[in-house]
Amino acid sequence: MTDAVLPTSALRMARRRSPFRRKVFPYLLVAPAVVYLLAITLYPGIFALWRSFYQGRFKLEFIGLENYSDLFGDEAFWHSLYNTLVIGGITLAVEFAIAMTLAALVYRDPFVRGWRIVFLLPMLFMPSAVAYLWKLLFNDGRVISDLLMQVGLASSNIDFMGSSWLARGVLVVTDVWQWTPFLFIIFVAALQGQDKEIEEAARLDGARWSQVFFAISLPLMRPVIAIALVLRGIDILTMFASPHIITQGAPAGDTETVSYFIYRTGFKSFEFGYASAASVVVLVLTVILAQSFVRRFFRSGRE
Amino acid sequence: MAEGSRFSIGRTILLLVWGLFCLLPVIFFATIALRPRNEIIAPKPIYFPTISVETWAKIWAEWPIMHYFMNSVIAVSGSVLICLVLGIPAAYSLARYQYKGREDIGFYILSTKMMAPAAVAIPIFFLFRAMGLLDTVWALMLVYAAMNLSIVVWIIRSYMIDIPHEIEDAARTDGASDLRILWSIIIPMCLPGIITAAVIAAIFAMNEYLFTLIIATKNAYPLSVALANFSGGSDGIIYNAIALVAFLAFFPALLLVILIQNHLSRGLTMGAVKG
Repeated sequence: MTDAVLPTSALRMARRRSPFRRKVFPYLLVAPAVVYLLAITLYPGIFALWRSFYQGRFKLEFIGLENYSDLFGDEAFWHSLYNTLVIGGITLAVEFAIAMTLAALVYRDPFVRGWRIVFLLPMLFMPSAVAYLWKLLFNDGRVISDLLMQVGLASSNIDFMGSSWLARGVLVVTDVWQWTPFLFIIFVAALQGQDKEIEEAARLDGARWSQVFFAISLPLMRPVIAIALVLRGIDILTMFASPHIITQGAPAGDTETVSYFIYRTGFKSFEFGYASAASVVVLVLTVILAQSFVRRFFRSGRE
Repeated sequence: MAEGSRFSIGRTILLLVWGLFCLLPVIFFATIALRPRNEIIAPKPIYFPTISVETWAKIWAEWPIMHYFMNSVIAVSGSVLICLVLGIPAAYSLARYQYKGREDIGFYILSTKMMAPAAVAIPIFFLFRAMGLLDTVWALMLVYAAMNLSIVVWIIRSYMIDIPHEIEDAARTDGASDLRILWSIIIPMCLPGIITAAVIAAIFAMNEYLFTLIIATKNAYPLSVALANFSGGSDGIIYNAIALVAFLAFFPALLLVILIQNHLSRGLTMGAVKG
């Protein structure tokens, strides 16, 4: 199968091992993957940049930087950036706190495999299905309202789409339910991989469990935590399925994420030039984030 | 194992509470798949519905669910195949050779994981429109492969690094070529890594929503987007069909994850955390 990817000349090249060919060989191995990825990163970047200077659906009209000046003056765009950061920040913090607590409680448990399977079940559903599940629980089926009424925390049906913080809360709960296990699984593995003996020695010296955890286990996990949060953070910042299915930005755009903003302006209003300008801004932000965070954390994570 | 506070009742209660929070919605969702339409949206939620498999026949007759399922299978498995064919040689190159620019190439591959799907959605849409591939499983396959290639390369690379050099050196002195070594020694030895990468790529591809939504408009619907289409006029959203499709995707994912459960953390962190 692998042979098929490479021209047969590469095969011969490797066998003969002339110095020049030995030098080229590793590049030939990595080239197909790089070319494929360039096609889906470089091309869209250039296309979006080009398209962002034009307006119109069928007949394109060059308007220079007008899309950008409109975009930076568009309150809805800034609002979607704000929403993304607020919803994302809360979600990430809650997921981290729960996942770390659960991992700390469970990692030396003899039944850790059992807990892990139960905890990861939500992660195995498609995000679109999960969005419908919570749409049903919060809105259409009124299940959450009913449960709150039964325990006396609410007196009537709650309109979760009526208030911006409740609607944002719905998105947070949906994401927390599905993706806390992502962090949990990583943290458990990291804790299990730590040297038991250090822990036991500290315990013999009379350290309490919480002291051992906060003074030894947690600091040792720093690189792992960084990587896990970066990976989860990227996914949360690009959150789309649940806003699209549950809230559609309601109320008054307070749950509109940047991803949903681009989708709405591009594929609902068909302002492709305008949406492309927003895409370019997001791509630039992505490159900055990738350069500053990811590279460093992945290096440190590899020992 | 140290007893005491760690195994207290409080700890067990906390774990049970979270366990129930995970499980109860799943169970509720399962009952949704089994109940008639008039018991889903009622003035008061019905917790113990009349369970009937008969609704399935109705759903099955109403929507081409098998067609959607096959779309998912084709697009997902095709994308995983592309990822492996492109990804294994790339991982081998990054793991085993010293050359100029290796770190930068590796990081570039990794950084494609950071791309926001929404930011490239519009160019991707126009690209596939120009190629005449809109609403085809081929477009989905190509996009899913692009989306997962970085993960696959990095996971497999991490497993290849762990293989001791001695075995290869011995084979090399016996006159084996580099590709021969990759095929007969490296690939069999890092098979767990390859399977882990394939499973994770498959699940992510199965889950994909935004690209799928803009590419598939009817014929090419895979499960992830087909369920967004289960709303018929006056009936509103047809939740039992959605739940049924959700479980249709859930069970294969569960089997795959159980298969790789000891490698899951390593796979999810793209090889960075050795679990």
